[in-house]
Amino acid sequence: MATTTASFTLSSSDIAASPVNVSTSSTLYKAGVTTGLEQCDIARRILLTSETSILDLISAQTAGATGGAYTIDKANKVYICNSSTSDTDFVLITINAEPIGRLYAGDWMFFPWGPDHATNSDIRITAASQTSTVTIDYMVIGQRNEA
Amino acid sequence: MATTTASISIASPDIISGMGLNYSKSKVLCKAGVCTGLEKIQSGTREYLATGAVELLDESVVTTDGANKVYIKNLSTDATEYFEIAIQSEVLGRLWAGDWMFIPWSAGGSNNITVNPSVATSMKLEYVVVHE
Repeated sequence: MATTTASFTLSSSDIAASPVNVSTSSTLYKAGVTTGLEQCDIARRILLTSETSILDLISAQTAGATGGAYTIDKANKVYICNSSTSDTDFVLITINAEPIGRLYAGDWMFFPWGPDHATNSDIRITAASQTSTVTIDYMVIGQRNEA
Repeated sequence: MATTTASISIASPDIISGMGLNYSKSKVLCKAGVCTGLEKIQSGTREYLATGAVELLDESVVTTDGANKVYIKNLSTDATEYFEIAIQSEVLGRLWAGDWMFIPWSAGGSNNITVNPSVATSMKLEYVVVHE
């Protein structure tokens, strides 16, 4: 088994009357056990300004298909970062056409991903109004095709 | 304007053979499309004594299509326990014991965030929303 940790901090000295400091760290385990996740995919995708339609970023894939499947009952984690630098440009993250949120330049997200194959739970991105090339870095740490 | 910074680091000495993984990213949280910092925050903890999906965050509290951010952590220490996290009817995934998540949240269109605890034995979570 591998040992992977994901740490998070949120800090501000002036968003509230008292300083805000949230800090946490977790070891990334498989579903329901304390065995570390063992599979990792890391990639970068660059979207040209002409690529304004909705695009698949991470596919849940069909069970048994080449590359295996991610499933709803596992402990998959997804990291996505919009590494662009233009403040006005954003990518909309959607799952099964459900809008999750907008990642503006430099913004990142980290979340559990449990695709429901009864619907199309691929993770999609739309950069509908970008003014320059968009760079998306992403990572999946999970249990693809594991029983 | 306020200055709020969110940082992540993902590290592993052995998830990729012969190559350590050591990634980090830090970002000042800005309003949509500008360099002005987000100015509002709310946070809390919740305890659940029953299973079934319940609303954690109502989309009406934040600006639609803003650069809102949400942090949620499952405070359980039992590895078998999880919260199923959903936005409207779309399940994102299961947040297992000790796991945390940080996502942008468009809100609007009834995109409420719901949680569904796996057991009815006092599961707890904490959350923070930073928004416009």
